[in-house]
Amino acid sequence: MAQAYFNCVNANGGINGHPIKYYIETEQTNASQIASEAKQLAQTDHVVGIIGNTSIIECTVDHSYWQSLGYYIIDSGIAPECYSTSNSAAVNMGPRYSSDGAVQYALAQHVSKVVFDQSNVPGTTYIAAGPAALAAAAHVPITQDTTNVPISDANSVALQLVDQAGKDGAVVLNFTPPDALVILQAAQKLNIENNVKLWACSTPCNTDFLAQSLGSKWNDKIFVNAELTPPDDTTTPTMNLYKAILSQYGKNVSGGIGSFSQMGFTEAELMVKALESVTGSYTVASVNAAIKGLTNVNTGMLCQAWSYGSYSMHIPNNEDYTVTADNGKMVLAPNGGCTQISTVDPQIAQYVSLAGRASLDSTSNAGGS
Amino acid sequence: MPPWSEFQQFIISGLALGGVYALSGVGLVVLYRATGVLYLAFGAVGAMGALLAWQVQQDGWPGWASWILCIVFGALVTLAYGVVFGPPLAGRDPLVRAVATLGLLLILVGAMDVIWTESGGAVRSISLPTDNGGFSLGNIQVTWTQVIALGLGVVLTVGTGAFLRYTKLGTAMRAMANDRVITATLGVPVRRVEAAAWFGCGVLAGLAGLLLADLVQLDATTLTFLVISSLAAALIGQLRSITVTFVAALVVGLVHDLLTPISALTNYRDMTPFVLAAIALLWVSRRRQVMTRSREEG
Repeated sequence: MAQAYFNCVNANGGINGHPIKYYIETEQTNASQIASEAKQLAQTDHVVGIIGNTSIIECTVDHSYWQSLGYYIIDSGIAPECYSTSNSAAVNMGPRYSSDGAVQYALAQHVSKVVFDQSNVPGTTYIAAGPAALAAAAHVPITQDTTNVPISDANSVALQLVDQAGKDGAVVLNFTPPDALVILQAAQKLNIENNVKLWACSTPCNTDFLAQSLGSKWNDKIFVNAELTPPDDTTTPTMNLYKAILSQYGKNVSGGIGSFSQMGFTEAELMVKALESVTGSYTVASVNAAIKGLTNVNTGMLCQAWSYGSYSMHIPNNEDYTVTADNGKMVLAPNGGCTQISTVDPQIAQYVSLAGRASLDSTSNAGGS
Repeated sequence: MPPWSEFQQFIISGLALGGVYALSGVGLVVLYRATGVLYLAFGAVGAMGALLAWQVQQDGWPGWASWILCIVFGALVTLAYGVVFGPPLAGRDPLVRAVATLGLLLILVGAMDVIWTESGGAVRSISLPTDNGGFSLGNIQVTWTQVIALGLGVVLTVGTGAFLRYTKLGTAMRAMANDRVITATLGVPVRRVEAAAWFGCGVLAGLAGLLLADLVQLDATTLTFLVISSLAAALIGQLRSITVTFVAALVVGLVHDLLTPISALTNYRDMTPFVLAAIALLWVSRRRQVMTRSREEG
């Protein structure tokens, strides 16, 4: 999606007459390959800025290298530990804070118990700490599960989760869309989807594909954390621009309208804003100073203003929406408007103490055309 | 340890999963007995058939036509592989013949990865109409798809056993399992018999792919490597006994799902096929040693 955004910018004259050349490298979860590609981008291709990284290990492998060269990265879909680095700032919340958001919504619906299930992959303990803190603060019992992925026995997983949650409890999932879908569909096939008060899910479930696959039986039954503005019912200029770019330049964007392409749009939007602020030549130093200087930007895609800044950690997106399935679409849930992720999560508390919370009142609009 | 009532619901899901494993396991055993080939691409063929079925459904094909396409795809790809690569590899070591099918697996997995990319939050699923109907056993909901999965396993095991025992083609397959050269010398059209075995195995690959896509997940990697559970059942049956393979597949499915509510073991339940296969192979090997020793002493 970032490529589509830049294609649109270039088709309209580029940045002050300069077209943006965007390099996309695809990695195979191979650390040596990732490190080699980083060196190629910096030393051979001489890129002046890095945005759009979506990888579960790229930041872990490269962030020290980027730091040594003075690059400040804007990314999304990164490893949880990358939120605690000084030179990586994501436009999304990541699995921990998104799971916080989903659990927070469930707790607000007065559920008697929370069952939180996530993929059995490295980093689950870190992610689980957020929901555990929120449930403890609300004095609601929480059961933490992990499930091996890809899931080969969705029926037994669904049965187990529903049993654990009970009639007034909530099941909260933190999985990729395909794995979340098989659990939810298994619950539907077993006719046990109504045996709990509600189902919730972290952001990956926020895709119309999932809502379409689930069908109308899940209307107002599943509540999904949305780290970015729900696109279907929103007609702001930014959202219209996003849809127009997707339609005109994004024919090859996998997944179409949804969180992933919104993230790409927002990252490109922030980069354009930074590039527009550069005076003089575009160098690694000037471009990254501009990226780092992005402050209180109204991206039009987030609940709050987005800032980079000189912090030891970056969680600039810490306010969420909640959406629900509605006849094949994800729409804003009742009371699902912008809600701050609670500072009960110690990581959020630490970031807020460093950077504060930027409301949309004191913002500048992001660039892009 | 959770109470027995908590385990009951996992019996149904385990039996249904075991039924589909049985379907795959029986297909693998029949093909191995007829051709000596351990068909490791079984899961990948079914996965690609199921993804093709999903694709044409998106293009407006009716459900029944897409299911037939899935089965026909499985049959044709498997038959084509058997006809093209079966004869030149017939004289090679069984390990070489098994590894050759890995080549087909890798080609299909690569193609699926390119055609049906997993990025961007795309999700795919296949739902059979039998998912929407069913009945309750106590407080447990049983779908017709689960019944079909188990029933097909039973029917196939009984049917294949009868086919191998009472039909001319089945007898020819059994003869080939014993000695391909002598069977050919006796005038049996070896290649035609092998082609029939490949075709039948392909039909089962398509059928299993379709059912597993519904019961488990429409995901290329998942479906491709689910064959490992069936392979474990086939190994327990020593790649000879259809009945033992069937029972072993049910046990694999049952044990796997019954471990779910046991919190200390739940994350290790995916090891079930390997553990059961290892135990069975050790037991068979031990039994052989004991029998050999008692024969020598006697």
